[in-house]
Amino acid sequence: MISLYLAERTWAHGVPAGWKLLALALISLAITPFDSVALMGGLLAAVLVLYVSLGRAALRQVALLRPLLPLLVILLGLHWWTGSLTAGIAMVLRLLAMILLANAVTMTTRMDDMMDAVEPILRPLALFGLSPRAVALMVAMMLRFVPLLFALWEALGESYRARTGKRGGWRLLAPFCIQTLRLSHHTAEALTARGGAPRGKRR
Amino acid sequence: MRHVELPVAVDAAAAGAPAIRLDKVTLNRGGRPVLSDVTLALAERRIGLIGANGSGKSSLARLLNGLLMPDEGRVEVHGLDTREHAAELPRKVGFIFQNPDHQIIFPTVAEEIGFSLEQAGRPRRAAREEAKAVLARHGRAHWAERPVHALSEGEKQLLCIIAVLVMQPAVLVLDEPFSSLDLTTRRRLEAMIASLPQQVILVAHELDAFSGYDRVVWLHEGRVRMDGAPEAVVAAYRRFAEAAAGAAEGGDTP
Repeated sequence: MISLYLAERTWAHGVPAGWKLLALALISLAITPFDSVALMGGLLAAVLVLYVSLGRAALRQVALLRPLLPLLVILLGLHWWTGSLTAGIAMVLRLLAMILLANAVTMTTRMDDMMDAVEPILRPLALFGLSPRAVALMVAMMLRFVPLLFALWEALGESYRARTGKRGGWRLLAPFCIQTLRLSHHTAEALTARGGAPRGKRR
Repeated sequence: MRHVELPVAVDAAAAGAPAIRLDKVTLNRGGRPVLSDVTLALAERRIGLIGANGSGKSSLARLLNGLLMPDEGRVEVHGLDTREHAAELPRKVGFIFQNPDHQIIFPTVAEEIGFSLEQAGRPRRAAREEAKAVLARHGRAHWAERPVHALSEGEKQLLCIIAVLVMQPAVLVLDEPFSSLDLTTRRRLEAMIASLPQQVILVAHELDAFSGYDRVVWLHEGRVRMDGAPEAVVAAYRRFAEAAAGAAEGGDTP
């Protein structure tokens, strides 16, 4: 199943979250002024080498890009149409490299450590009455529910195929939304049963 | 059907007032009555709740931890009126849902348990350390960093129970917790539940799950149909359910 966190420990799990986030930010800043295909291709290759070093499970995560492909094709098409195909290719390579790099950070960093790294930046939000714990909860729930929603989509697709022999495709969207709302209702109930979302600024 | 009054075996903790008291409770959901005039005093340590689908079992369970409030009457749990003390109830009453995927909020096991500890007032660092210690106590130290979606159904349900127990509730309410478990896994969970010091209210369709229980309440169409020793109530319910299935044969309801 696709998940946003790698269960098996890799060397990148040991790198402190703050360093990984800093490296991500610096690399994305550093490549901003450039748009040569060779450089972006090299960057993507380097990122793929990073994935190889993280092992087989990490490489499998490259499949996460699949939903993005139509978008990338459209972007490339637009550039081709306006006569700047090379710039388009460079941009697609840059996007791919940065998305994969960001995903590499997500899948090798525990949510807790991520929040510890990010919390100092969030702290001023407490002035506006927003608890950093509430933000942490939102991020955690996102990481938890992405794999669950993938599984829900697959289950809907399976039951559609079981009865029609065809792929559900867009037809599953409406039932998927309804099921998602039901799931959110259940989760709200479970959260309430354990005392509700944190509100205070206790740390 | 006769209503069996039970010779209540009150334990020391509940020697005073009954631990849980429902007083003339009526509950409507979606304009339909779900519970009608239910009065119960639940003081025993192990209580089962049985009945057909839609008989009001889950709603009754949800009244106990304040997820639902009665439309009429009152519910008191360990001295707390659920209407007046809604905020304190989650620490008194641990609740286990039918589907663990609806209950687990966090991506990794240690975080799921740590959240309960933080809800109980521990600072985050302490909560993290304690979560690991708790897992070690249950012989599951290696689970700490596991993503929850990688656990089996039984493991997820066990995690749900551990995460609720660390809040040290006085009562544990389980709403059909065995639905998707195989028999071995179920027996293990039953044994673990049996060993808990907490008062336990178990809603289940598995009629053999109540051995060792002090009392079973049978709900039928929102009312208490029978209430007493597990053997007697379960046997009566089984006869009723089989007879109803026989009566429906050839009829219009499956």
